[in-house]
Amino acid sequence: MELNANAFGRNARKALLDKTLQEALGRTTGRFLAHRDAAVAAFPEFEATRERASRIKRDALDHLDTYLARFIEEAEKRGAIVHVARDAAQAREIAARIARDEGVTLAVKSKSMASEEISFNEALQGAGVTVVESDLGEFIIQLAGEAPSHIIAPAVHKTREQISRLFERHLGEPRTDSIPELVRMARRHLRAKFLSAGMGVSGGNFLVADTGSVVLVTNEGNGRMGTVLPRVHLAVVGIEKVIPRMSDLPAFLRLLPRSASGQVISSYVSIVTGTRRAGDPEGPERMHILLLDCGRSAILEGKYREILKCVRCAACLNVCPVYQSVGGHAYGWVYSGPIGAVLTPLLVGLPEAAALPDASTLCGACADVCPVKIPLPDFLLELRSDAREQGLKTPGEIAAMKGYAGVMKRAGLLEAIERIAGVLGQFFTKGKGIGGLPYPFSGWTERRDFPAPAAQPFRKQWKIKRGARG
Amino acid sequence: MVNERESLFRRLSAACGGRGAAAEEPLPGGAPMAPEGDRLARFAETFTAAGGFLLRGPVEAAVSDLGEMLRAEGVTALFFPEDDAAAREIAEALVPFGPFHLTTGAEVRGGSAAVTAGFRSAEAAIAETGTIVETSAGGKTLLPGLIADVHVSIVPAALVVARTEEALAAFAADPPRNISFLSGPSKTGDIEQTLTVGAHGPKKAIALLLG
Repeated sequence: MELNANAFGRNARKALLDKTLQEALGRTTGRFLAHRDAAVAAFPEFEATRERASRIKRDALDHLDTYLARFIEEAEKRGAIVHVARDAAQAREIAARIARDEGVTLAVKSKSMASEEISFNEALQGAGVTVVESDLGEFIIQLAGEAPSHIIAPAVHKTREQISRLFERHLGEPRTDSIPELVRMARRHLRAKFLSAGMGVSGGNFLVADTGSVVLVTNEGNGRMGTVLPRVHLAVVGIEKVIPRMSDLPAFLRLLPRSASGQVISSYVSIVTGTRRAGDPEGPERMHILLLDCGRSAILEGKYREILKCVRCAACLNVCPVYQSVGGHAYGWVYSGPIGAVLTPLLVGLPEAAALPDASTLCGACADVCPVKIPLPDFLLELRSDAREQGLKTPGEIAAMKGYAGVMKRAGLLEAIERIAGVLGQFFTKGKGIGGLPYPFSGWTERRDFPAPAAQPFRKQWKIKRGARG
Repeated sequence: MVNERESLFRRLSAACGGRGAAAEEPLPGGAPMAPEGDRLARFAETFTAAGGFLLRGPVEAAVSDLGEMLRAEGVTALFFPEDDAAAREIAEALVPFGPFHLTTGAEVRGGSAAVTAGFRSAEAAIAETGTIVETSAGGKTLLPGLIADVHVSIVPAALVVARTEEALAAFAADPPRNISFLSGPSKTGDIEQTLTVGAHGPKKAIALLLG
């Protein structure tokens, strides 16, 4: 996927002016959050399970060399062919070669963020293979020629009218405003693809080291179809997805659906291991597993290792005030929200995405909901400081921050400024908001008023109240 | 070309500090699900919450309700695994209850135009989540729960376990190619966040709990 992360400011402005997107974002994030909160409240063991999952992931990452080697050995023992790609270009090459060698002309793909990282579809199309996205949301945006805007709801920014127009143009279906009818159209169209495709492509939510299994969690059933019906199965998965044992899986199955959509469990969990066995009536004759490094081993080596614990539930997106306002496209790459603001700079290089760690209020809500306890706000701050060290901040920004720090460290100076601002504010604005500040402060006042400074600074009000209470 | 695998493991070993095998440490949250008083009642509750429809046996009593449900979905063709006696018995018993005829998984896979119901015996069911477990172990087919419009699972009460751990334990050492957890019908919320059933898999999931 094309990288456009440093244009976050411009992208965000565009998103804020997009009325359809704003409505969709409000509806989606609110609903996901409400469902998630209800599911967590109804699950008293949530905290203990979270701690367990976090420890399993940390252990898996601390010994990834051991566990990944075990995974590869076990998967190969059961007939899978395992490939390793250092970077996106190599991954594309390998994927195209697999498709060519297997004689595939049509592939059905279920949702995989990892495959977006390497521009998988383009790679296969380059090798003459048609790739059809089978997740309904992904299918819709593939028809529209766009990129996903939410990890688990890629087409949140599309209305049923827009979708019906797409189906009319690309599938020759009559216009309708019925959502079940639209789902039926996609089902019919995609079922034919599943039955004729030579290869099913999936991601992988988890890799089980002990058994060489790939675990897929879906609601629609497309992941299941693509891994049972076609002759070849290709799983494209990041190396960090390994968990040690099958007995580690239940904790994650309890956390992921609750955190993602508030479900106790998603409709389908498929645990697939190797190729079809002798006597199996279905299942792929050939299974390829393409393991992606693509920057992960470098992350593993440094201070951001825990970011690799992420299970891609998207709870941090839904709860983030910045994501709620600008949506996924503004982040300019595969991953959005707080996880994107940390992971993207680490995977593509900080200079290519230095704008993203700034796209946060550091409110901490993401860390509160993360089912594997990733310290996202700490990482965002750390990346800002890395950006400063790497010379990625402008002299103006550095001077402003130094000035800010200087004032905040001196209580007397802060008080004096507050008092002067209060007097001036009352005099010029009569206590109403401030509009029309000059550049660079115009960003605050272009579309809304900046609140006027209070006549009495907060700390003075506090002192008086405390004094009154005695 | 350098061996990419070797080179990856060199990078990983450097990152992991060559600490080798992991130490086993006791983990919290190991058995979080409080023992359920009644597994079957719990399963009925969770399976229904996942969007499924539960019928209780015996077969003779359930068949007429089942027939009505299938007619309401417009089902005309019934199929089941060749070697699944319980599924066959129920599908055959249903024929007099509707405009139903028997067909095969292969025919449905070949692109049958009829609305279909796929019957299959479950290998386990999980009370914690309302999940039906189906696997390919021993050459069993997955088609009834995969490509049918309506899926009917036959669940002997003795196979209902309390927690996910118990269902997975049997496969912890050497899993078959496919282990599927099915919890309710196929769902999507991808259009305007509106929950719609029948995205790819069955639009309706029915469990017939026997014994």
